Amino acid sequence: MSWLDSTVHRALVEAVLVGVLGGVTGVFVVARRLPFFTMALTHATFPGIVVAAMLGVNLYLGGGLFGLLVVAAVLVFSRGRGQDFTTATGIALSGGFALGVVLVSSQDGFTRDLAAYTVGDVLAVSTGDLAATAAVTAGVLLLLALVGKELLLAAFDPVGAAALGLPTVLLDFALLAVVEVTVVATVPALGTILAVALIVGPAATARLLSDRIALLFPIAAAIGVACALAGVWVSTVWNVATGASIALLVGLVFGTVFLATAVRGRTRRAVPVRA
Amino acid sequence: MSERAPTLVIDRASVAYGDVPVLEELDGVVHEGEAVALIGPNGAGKSTLIKALLGLVPVVRGRIEVLGTTPAQARRDVAYVPQADTLDPDFPVSVEQVVMMGRYRRIGWLRRPSAADRAEVAGALERVGLAARARDRFGTLSGGQRQRVLLARAIAAGPRMLLLDEPFNGVDAVSQHALLEAIGSLKEQGASVVVSTHDLAIAHLACDEVCLLNRHQFGFGPTGDVLTPERLRATYGGHALELRGDRVIVTQT
Repeated sequence: MSWLDSTVHRALVEAVLVGVLGGVTGVFVVARRLPFFTMALTHATFPGIVVAAMLGVNLYLGGGLFGLLVVAAVLVFSRGRGQDFTTATGIALSGGFALGVVLVSSQDGFTRDLAAYTVGDVLAVSTGDLAATAAVTAGVLLLLALVGKELLLAAFDPVGAAALGLPTVLLDFALLAVVEVTVVATVPALGTILAVALIVGPAATARLLSDRIALLFPIAAAIGVACALAGVWVSTVWNVATGASIALLVGLVFGTVFLATAVRGRTRRAVPVRA
Repeated sequence: MSERAPTLVIDRASVAYGDVPVLEELDGVVHEGEAVALIGPNGAGKSTLIKALLGLVPVVRGRIEVLGTTPAQARRDVAYVPQADTLDPDFPVSVEQVVMMGRYRRIGWLRRPSAADRAEVAGALERVGLAARARDRFGTLSGGQRQRVLLARAIAAGPRMLLLDEPFNGVDAVSQHALLEAIGSLKEQGASVVVSTHDLAIAHLACDEVCLLNRHQFGFGPTGDVLTPERLRATYGGHALELRGDRVIVTQT
């Protein structure tokens, strides 16, 4: 018997991991204004999941690999004449999701697996899911520790970064790939549709509380962990959907902090950065 | 004409985005310690020329040599100052973090800023008169102050050539003065400066040479020789022009 044999224990560990991962990645998503891209990825990875289900390989591996293709496609499309990043993202979202639907409709039988995929259930995560989320979280934290300053510059001033000779296309791909693996790793707990809540919500809330990027990471991670743990608790006590409970709490926390900071008259152009 | 070493040599150069030519048949030489103003209407290709000097837009014919080598290889010693209003004012980054970005190439990958880097950042902010705002969020500063922060970022890089894209657009008198002072002191230290501007008075004030651009080159040489009514009328395609004493006013829509 291992401590991780308990469903609730696994759910708690997964909640902590996705809370940290979603919060940290979310800081870049919010600063770079990528919530739409994040939302699109949750849909565009769908055909990868379907193909994995058809081939009988790990669903999240399938989604993850296909997601990298989608990221590359968005980067290539957005460089076309008269195109931009949002347009390319819209194309990838609808194209990817449509491909998934076509593949599903050509098959019979695995709609139940896919239903779990769209809604997610943190109480159903396997030890394998946990290991995958832990590996992704460690990888993302390591990447940010190593090239965080270059990612920050490329996000803030792409032309300035290119002028410094930084490989901006590679840095863009790295950042979008971080978002992509975060989406895929968060899906078992929250499902495709709600994963975006745990990535955008805690970071947006942190942004209401601080202007200092060094503080945004721990604040967002703390909010993410708190909401994920509380969501697991709420769903077991009242027997309601876990993913939705977590997403709802994220929304409530954002709303509360928004009102509190609005009352103190500092929603916009918040506190000047003082150490 | 100058005994100082040439830092920028443009030799019958044409610049293009893909198969769309933007600038054709440019010629000119800039020496160390000299400043050249790029003057021309909107869409003339001033920003494109600056990007070509950074090696971000290809030279399709002729040659551009920066600091004795290709633009891409010279980047190490070239600093670029973008227009402040092209940057997201809501981005959670402080003034000193922005200036520190100028040190990134010297710091290198996988390393953190040292005490010496911090001292350079503080010194650069001092030179643009914004040391007191180091910890404020970049977006809380006025447009002119943000432009000075971006100049401080370039100064912190310790460049031999400075490229500024429309730094005086929408900048108040105090910031304009601070920018001119800082550019002047960089020139005294031997840096070459290339600055695109609409402001002919500033070109007179801060620059030794002028390059008149509108897809083609309408003149390159000492400011007083090149900024003539005839050449300006040719560059701006006949937009109304008034002359009063030594002041030239170009009106364009």
